[in-house]
Amino acid sequence: MRIIKKNAMFYMMMIPIVVYFAMFAYYPLVKGIQTSFQDYKLMGERPYIGLDNYDLVIHDPSFWDALWNTLYIGGGILIIGFIAPLLIALSLNEVMKSWFKKTAQMLLYVPHLLSWVVIGGIFIFLLSPDTGLVNMLLVNIFGMNPINFMADESWARSIMIGSAVWKDMGYNCILFLAGIAAISPSLYEAARMDGATRWQQVRYVTLPQLMSTMKVIFLLNTLGLLRIFDQIFVMRNPAITSKVDVLMMYTFQKGIMEIRFGPAAAASFFVVLFTLLLTVMVRKITRFDEV
Amino acid sequence: MKKNAVIAMILAGTTLLSACGTNNSGVANSSPYASGTGSPAASADGGKLEILTGNVGGKTPEGNAEFEKELSEKLGLDVTLDKPASDYDQKVLTSLSSGAKYDLIEISDLAKLDVFINQGVVTDLSDFVQNSTVLSDPSVIPTEEWEQVKGPDGKIYGVFSKFQGATMPIIRKDWLEKLNLEEPKTLDELYTVLKAFKEDDPDGDGKANTYGLSTSGLYDIQGIMSAAGLKSRYVMQEGKRTIPYATDAAIPMYEWFAKLVKEGIMDPNFITNDTAKMRNLFLTDRVGMITYWDAWVGMFNNLKKTEDPNTTFQAEGILSIPAADGTILMRRGDPDFWIIPANAPHPEAAKKFLEFWNTQEGITLGSLGVEDFDYTLDNGAYTLTEIGETANMDHGVPYWYNSTVKSPFPALPGVEDAMALSKQYATLELSLSTWPDAEKIVNNYALKAMSGQMAAKDAVAQMQKELKGANLID
Repeated sequence: MRIIKKNAMFYMMMIPIVVYFAMFAYYPLVKGIQTSFQDYKLMGERPYIGLDNYDLVIHDPSFWDALWNTLYIGGGILIIGFIAPLLIALSLNEVMKSWFKKTAQMLLYVPHLLSWVVIGGIFIFLLSPDTGLVNMLLVNIFGMNPINFMADESWARSIMIGSAVWKDMGYNCILFLAGIAAISPSLYEAARMDGATRWQQVRYVTLPQLMSTMKVIFLLNTLGLLRIFDQIFVMRNPAITSKVDVLMMYTFQKGIMEIRFGPAAAASFFVVLFTLLLTVMVRKITRFDEV
Repeated sequence: MKKNAVIAMILAGTTLLSACGTNNSGVANSSPYASGTGSPAASADGGKLEILTGNVGGKTPEGNAEFEKELSEKLGLDVTLDKPASDYDQKVLTSLSSGAKYDLIEISDLAKLDVFINQGVVTDLSDFVQNSTVLSDPSVIPTEEWEQVKGPDGKIYGVFSKFQGATMPIIRKDWLEKLNLEEPKTLDELYTVLKAFKEDDPDGDGKANTYGLSTSGLYDIQGIMSAAGLKSRYVMQEGKRTIPYATDAAIPMYEWFAKLVKEGIMDPNFITNDTAKMRNLFLTDRVGMITYWDAWVGMFNNLKKTEDPNTTFQAEGILSIPAADGTILMRRGDPDFWIIPANAPHPEAAKKFLEFWNTQEGITLGSLGVEDFDYTLDNGAYTLTEIGETANMDHGVPYWYNSTVKSPFPALPGVEDAMALSKQYATLELSLSTWPDAEKIVNNYALKAMSGQMAAKDAVAQMQKELKGANLID
């Protein structure tokens, strides 16, 4: 009690934050869970129907397709989107010319600032079979037939993964570079005195010292794995939906397009549940608590 | 300590208020009168009218404010016009599900009307329509049209916002003339024309940079699928749900499209095109035929004429390709209509609006816009202002049912002929609640077959298997 009194000002400052999260995060979450047990109608009676909505979702093949697509695309983004910026950050760290380093960072970061509407438009344009730069190169330099990348199922997931990685590469790269910058120079000095080469310095100093940053970034990216939506919404088309429709698209389809809020809420609950499970798994695997 | 506590309280209060402020985008705050500034005093019940609309109003925020003011004056009501800039359907659903109260909501999807009836959202307007001297007049709204907005129980749940036309093949008539070709009447003739559009340099720039046909995915190939007598979406046959595009009869049609794709006659981006991209291709001389709304025939011609008065560009709406038995299938679009939600606070004010909207005054407002802002009236002569020109005589009502109201301006070139075809041949599609699920399957395999990624026979077989498996056809 004495401690509470002593820090009363700080506790009071926390009130709006707690109220904010209660109102705009936890209240909707609880309402969503409630809806998932109801025959939810826009107006009038909303009777409770037990687990019917969950039963419907579980027995809907589209849901499992969407889950598999989410894990495939989200997993790809998680892994490649983790490794690629790490490699670039390590490479940039070895670059001595600061102007090159700064320019490269800036250029890599710019796509992160653009919305998916812009990025989607850029990719659709670049990959267009008649006027797209990629196909022009394939046709004019390699003499290949144009590929309709955006309408071909065999390319669909790779394009989603590639574009997502490209978009956020700079952002993750900056986080890694910040972690690298925090490593004590004395460690490198000691390694050099022991005769370590540049590669050995990376292998035995940078990577171990960067481990905690890597764990944080990996965990943060895991949290977003099942929530991919904007990108798919912008870049999908009817020819590739079966390969790219993700869980959030499924929820959107059920809730907004079909006005079936009960099943949509049940599907959303699964997203929350799966995210929780994934996060716990990643924490265990990465021994996050040892950060 | 006390001083610190006061500071902390102020900080907490301001943070909370700012947090709420950034998230309260609800209906109450979206109303210009909700803040209490510059608001006409709330009149007695029925004196206010809150409208949620996707199409009606001005084209800019200023134009919308003028429209709202004009509507208030004309109706003698305190009108609030909520016109979201985007994602209208989502706004409707989130508003209804959050308990927001509107007196009128504009809808443009008949399938949604059935859902809303099931969800207890809409008010029965049968008595109102039948007893209204304006709305029950067949010259204002033809009697048979009301069938569209009836629920399964035979009651009327909506009132039309405007006349909705149909979609059809729209062709470059000037290209036809230049290449000495006739308007295509069979699938073979259509192929010949489209091939010529691709290969015979119809734009005369000496480059092979044109396509015969462009669509926006499967939207809307009805004018061509008509050749096999295939109606889009669901068709009930002996009480069973069928999807003609998923039947064996569709196989030769998909093969026909695949041939166009293979020979480079079809715009290769047709799968990823949205309708705006398709329109732009047509307007920029890249493609000779598209499939789109009749109203756009006039708008295409007008846009090109405004751009270049000497243009030879001439768009023309043509008939769908007849089936072997002579049947012509055209797709009539779902109407735009108003509903009065069950929780509307001022239903009588809403009814007043619905009658007004179908009178000469209402139609003038919905088409030309606001006097002295969108147009001027001088001794009976109407002149569009610059803002009015941009709005293209469309403030939610580019075309209307009321046959007693004539437009003060001549129709845009080509649109009357196109609409005459629509009125003669176009029929509504059957919208069942299972269509969104079925559409995904049909679109997926139809596009694969059309683009040649999959043999049409296999695509249709797979389509049928999945539709049956998901209980989407009987």
